[in-house]
Amino acid sequence: MDSSLKTIRAQREALDTKKVSARELAEEYIANIKKRDGEIKSYITVTEELALAQADAAQKIIDSGESKPLTGIPMAIKDNICTEGVRTTCASKILENFVPPYNATVMERLNGQGIVMLGKTSMDEFAMGGSTQTSAFAKTKNPYNTDCVPGGSSGGSAAAVAAELCTASLGSDTGGSIRQPAAFCGVTGIKPTYSRVSRFGLVAFASSFDQIGPIAHSAYDCAAVLNHICGFDPHDGTSARNEVPDFTAKIGAPLKGMKLALPKEFFAEGIDDEIRKSVLAAADVYKSLGAELVECSMPSLKYAVPAYYLISSAEAASNLSRYDGIKYGHRTAEADSYEELIKKSRSEGFGDEVKRRILLGNYALSSGYYDAYYGKAMALRQVIRSEYDSIFEKCDAIVTPTTPAVAYRPEEQVSDPVKMYQADICTVTVNIAGLPAISTPCGYNKDGMPIGLSIIGKRFDEQTVIQLADAFEQTFAPVAPKLN
Amino acid sequence: MDLEMVKYLAELGKLEFTDEQLEKTASEMTDIIDLMDGVKEFDVEYDAHKDNHNVFLDGLRPDVKHESMPTEKVLQNAVNRDNAFVVPKVVE
Repeated sequence: MDSSLKTIRAQREALDTKKVSARELAEEYIANIKKRDGEIKSYITVTEELALAQADAAQKIIDSGESKPLTGIPMAIKDNICTEGVRTTCASKILENFVPPYNATVMERLNGQGIVMLGKTSMDEFAMGGSTQTSAFAKTKNPYNTDCVPGGSSGGSAAAVAAELCTASLGSDTGGSIRQPAAFCGVTGIKPTYSRVSRFGLVAFASSFDQIGPIAHSAYDCAAVLNHICGFDPHDGTSARNEVPDFTAKIGAPLKGMKLALPKEFFAEGIDDEIRKSVLAAADVYKSLGAELVECSMPSLKYAVPAYYLISSAEAASNLSRYDGIKYGHRTAEADSYEELIKKSRSEGFGDEVKRRILLGNYALSSGYYDAYYGKAMALRQVIRSEYDSIFEKCDAIVTPTTPAVAYRPEEQVSDPVKMYQADICTVTVNIAGLPAISTPCGYNKDGMPIGLSIIGKRFDEQTVIQLADAFEQTFAPVAPKLN
Repeated sequence: MDLEMVKYLAELGKLEFTDEQLEKTASEMTDIIDLMDGVKEFDVEYDAHKDNHNVFLDGLRPDVKHESMPTEKVLQNAVNRDNAFVVPKVVE
């Protein structure tokens, strides 16, 4: 593909000026998928026929002069977002044949824009993981080095954008699942403020953390998608009634006078040297653009990983109790009793990591352990929020690395749950506090693997986060992966 | 974590493990709980009166009747018979 035509912004202009048709665009991406996705494995389901029909419908809208910002834009959707009539597996055997009878609210909104859905992307099973290697159907590879993981859990959505198998995608982020794979795959991804985007139709993992957000080639493109998926939804009682601004509005505004916090714990031992240097160099770019850098501290960071895993697993254990093999999902072939049917269906359907989270969640909530684990984690959640509130009293945004290390080979840590959990250190506090945060590429390590810069904002201040990410992107020359 | 605890938690989660899986899971869960024990050293209590920033329940929708999803759609992912979910016999 012509590299100048890979962003939403460029495609919008090309579609509206008839330089390219919606069908030509869709066909080009489908050809890319056929050529490359056998190796990358970013999709679980490719919806070629539907995509071409949607492209033709989008073209009619464009021809009538009524095109909307996303009309005809080829997108991929994480496979935990319900798509009416299109299989939605959550990368789990338990939902292998599940065809949703309704659309998630985000899909209703994107379909209202006239997008072209190319398919459903792979992920860690039930979004539990950071490698996409717990997917029951497609263990996605990193387009920068197919021996490495793409991150996760939205690894398919990030890899698909990086490998030009879609223009933009939707992911979901419970503890870093948009930002971490965006960092590993050298693309941009934003987790909006908790409650910004309706979760109706998002398969629930940890309901006080889960949030849907876009992954794309730039902060502008993320904003262009975000503009059309946010807002109150009567189907999600936790969705916010806050006004939805134009998320591109602050792009290009000067940074002079802005204060950016650098919490020292995010740059301490355990963070890879090349990542630390690269993110601090990005901070210096902000300084040269007129922002002031402010050193600060977040002492509770060292407790964040266990606090996150205790709360999210407790919520997951409850949310996943709905899978009984009766109403939908995998049903065991033979069972003599109701109890046996449920146990066998669940045991056959769930993978090892999902089972571990259920056990951990039930442990944290059990009588005799509740106060020591779940209660303490909830107290820590309040402390982490307070620490963020204190930083935001003095600063406009926070700059940190997105990950402590770059993408790794699966054999290095995928089989060690503790190592996997600890790798979430840079992202989980954002979910604990319900804040918006973006990851955008800020460099590459000596092996050419991407490094992510994270910008964390105040609640409902995605505009500043996007403004800052874009300001850095304007100074940075990204290196695309070598694609066949 | 000992095997009895894993069995107890598995029962709560309606999961079955073979003996071999139980051993492996107990070992993994022991390492995971070691990591979780980190929260114990932090001396702080949950304050139930503190604002919970994450949840906005100030505008619940009006209690108005809406049309339900058609039965065939509700049943499309289930083993069903006579417009009902099929379950093993529960009454002798």
